[in-house]
Amino acid sequence: MKRYASFKVFSLLFGVVYMGLFWLNEFYGIAFLRYYPVLGGFYNERQPPETAGPAILWYFWLFGALAVSLLVSLVVPRRLAERIPHNWIWMVSAALMVAILVYERRWFY
Amino acid sequence: MIQILTILHALLAVGLLGALTHQAFSVARRKPASPAHTFIDRFRGVNSPTFTNVVVLLFVVTSIGGGLLYPRYRVDVRTTLEDLQLRAANGVFEMKEHFAALGVGLLPAYWLFWRPPLHVEYADTRKYLTWILALVTWWNFLVGEVLNNIKGLYP
Repeated sequence: MKRYASFKVFSLLFGVVYMGLFWLNEFYGIAFLRYYPVLGGFYNERQPPETAGPAILWYFWLFGALAVSLLVSLVVPRRLAERIPHNWIWMVSAALMVAILVYERRWFY
Repeated sequence: MIQILTILHALLAVGLLGALTHQAFSVARRKPASPAHTFIDRFRGVNSPTFTNVVVLLFVVTSIGGGLLYPRYRVDVRTTLEDLQLRAANGVFEMKEHFAALGVGLLPAYWLFWRPPLHVEYADTRKYLTWILALVTWWNFLVGEVLNNIKGLYP
């Protein structure tokens, strides 16, 4: 268990960073990478919807969360990672799921 | 090609659903294993740790499949849903993509806590991680199926 303590850091962070990037886009329109399926490529800047079609940001949220969580989990010392209470992982995820349900209820009105 | 990928994605999801549901039922057991009498007893009486690697593999591969299908969904299906003003259908898909991401992030911890030897002090963490992944998989499977058949469901 001790050998893989960084896995706990990764799992704890991934969902938080993912949702952070999602809400950063929702509230401030900030996204560093957008995929335009009609154009078939990734772009930093917003493209005109008339010619570029809809953008997909999910890949950016996923890869952003992957990069940050991986980096932090490799940097955090093992002793510190071992001290993270194991219950936090599922509790944080459950809390994020509730937050998603609350936020996305906007689609049902 | 897209049809083959959609069917493959669904088949992988069925496999994942089966493995996770077995495991989720097995960790819900309150008392030590007794001889299986009912269907539920036999369903939950599986050797749970053996499912772990398969669950991780299937979850990752199914998510990659979903990621490959997503551009086609975004261009064709979502715009149709918007035209038909099926906001709830868009909403449940939004949740599906977020839940899938949370599930992918949980996999390293899930694998870690299911790694033999199974420690008793981690039993609750193991149980709740499994239940979260099972919930995510059931939600995503049902939403995927409904959206795939939505033209037939909303004539």
